[in-house]
Amino acid sequence: MTKFRKICRTLHREFGFLAVGLTLVYAISGIAINHAHHWDANYARTVSESQMAPVGTGPTEEIRDQVLARLDLTEPVKNTWRADTNTLQVFLAGARYDVDLVTGKVVRQGFSKRPLLYDLNFMHLNSGKAPWTGIADVYASLLIVLALTGIFLVRGRKGLAGRGGVMLAVGVLLPVIYAVVVRA
Amino acid sequence: MRLSTVLTTMMMVLLVAGAALAGAGETVYGKGVSAPDTVLVSALLAHPDDYVGQTIRVKGTAVGVCAHRGCWINVASDVEGDVVRVKVKDGEIVFPPEIVGDTVVAEGVWTANKLDLETTKKVCANEAKNAGEEFDPESVTACKTLYQLSGTGAVVVKN
Repeated sequence: MTKFRKICRTLHREFGFLAVGLTLVYAISGIAINHAHHWDANYARTVSESQMAPVGTGPTEEIRDQVLARLDLTEPVKNTWRADTNTLQVFLAGARYDVDLVTGKVVRQGFSKRPLLYDLNFMHLNSGKAPWTGIADVYASLLIVLALTGIFLVRGRKGLAGRGGVMLAVGVLLPVIYAVVVRA
Repeated sequence: MRLSTVLTTMMMVLLVAGAALAGAGETVYGKGVSAPDTVLVSALLAHPDDYVGQTIRVKGTAVGVCAHRGCWINVASDVEGDVVRVKVKDGEIVFPPEIVGDTVVAEGVWTANKLDLETTKKVCANEAKNAGEEFDPESVTACKTLYQLSGTGAVVVKN
């Protein structure tokens, strides 16, 4: 038993160090994504309004340049789109302008990646697929090893036979109760 | 100690490889595109029932992206004002907002979803709300059919 515990301790220690970085990635991103209904975890979005002299609803080829001149944008324009008779949309790398051709009202919807959090979510959601799938699988396997070896690290009343056992039971019962009672 | 060093090195190599793959100017989403011919969006919208059930490819500017989950994009028609929606399975493909204004080639199965009158009224109410217009539910007397491309893949070229 002592030898088994020693192996558990070695595995737990080595894999524990290895798992710190990835655990932080998944934990921080997990909190962010868990509240996706409250906020956009990947992008910071802004909406602002301004006014320009209306250019009228003439043919798009004629009014496009007038709109761009009046917007006086400093960033390069990717594209424009006549969404309907009264609206010209202007697309930039990090924003979209909706220009009301009749009233001259301009609505700018901007977006930018949240620093760090975007990358953490990218990894957590496995948006990059192939390379990260392998890393995530290895990490998940490490977590299983950490969880199982952790059970046997401590002996006595603080171990599995005592308080540790109670904590273990609580941790196992929590998802079981949720699945059986709440989800049902 | 040696095991952790080996694993860390492996992860670094995979990360560098992933970053290198992500650097290309053309981005492939999902299964990409393989259908031989592109159907004009205007032709598709003019005779939508002719294409139902077919795997087709459309090309145009991305003029709208789902802000919540990146689960759909609107692709502009060659006729002003018209768009076709490309809907993908949540989480399977995630379109980022950066692709708005870029050229998209999307592929999938053209589908028709016939709505009942109650659902049609809800859809019309939502459209009116988004357009900032008044809406009278009694004005809707006919059921609507929603057409969209159930997308399996796309290629986005930066403009």
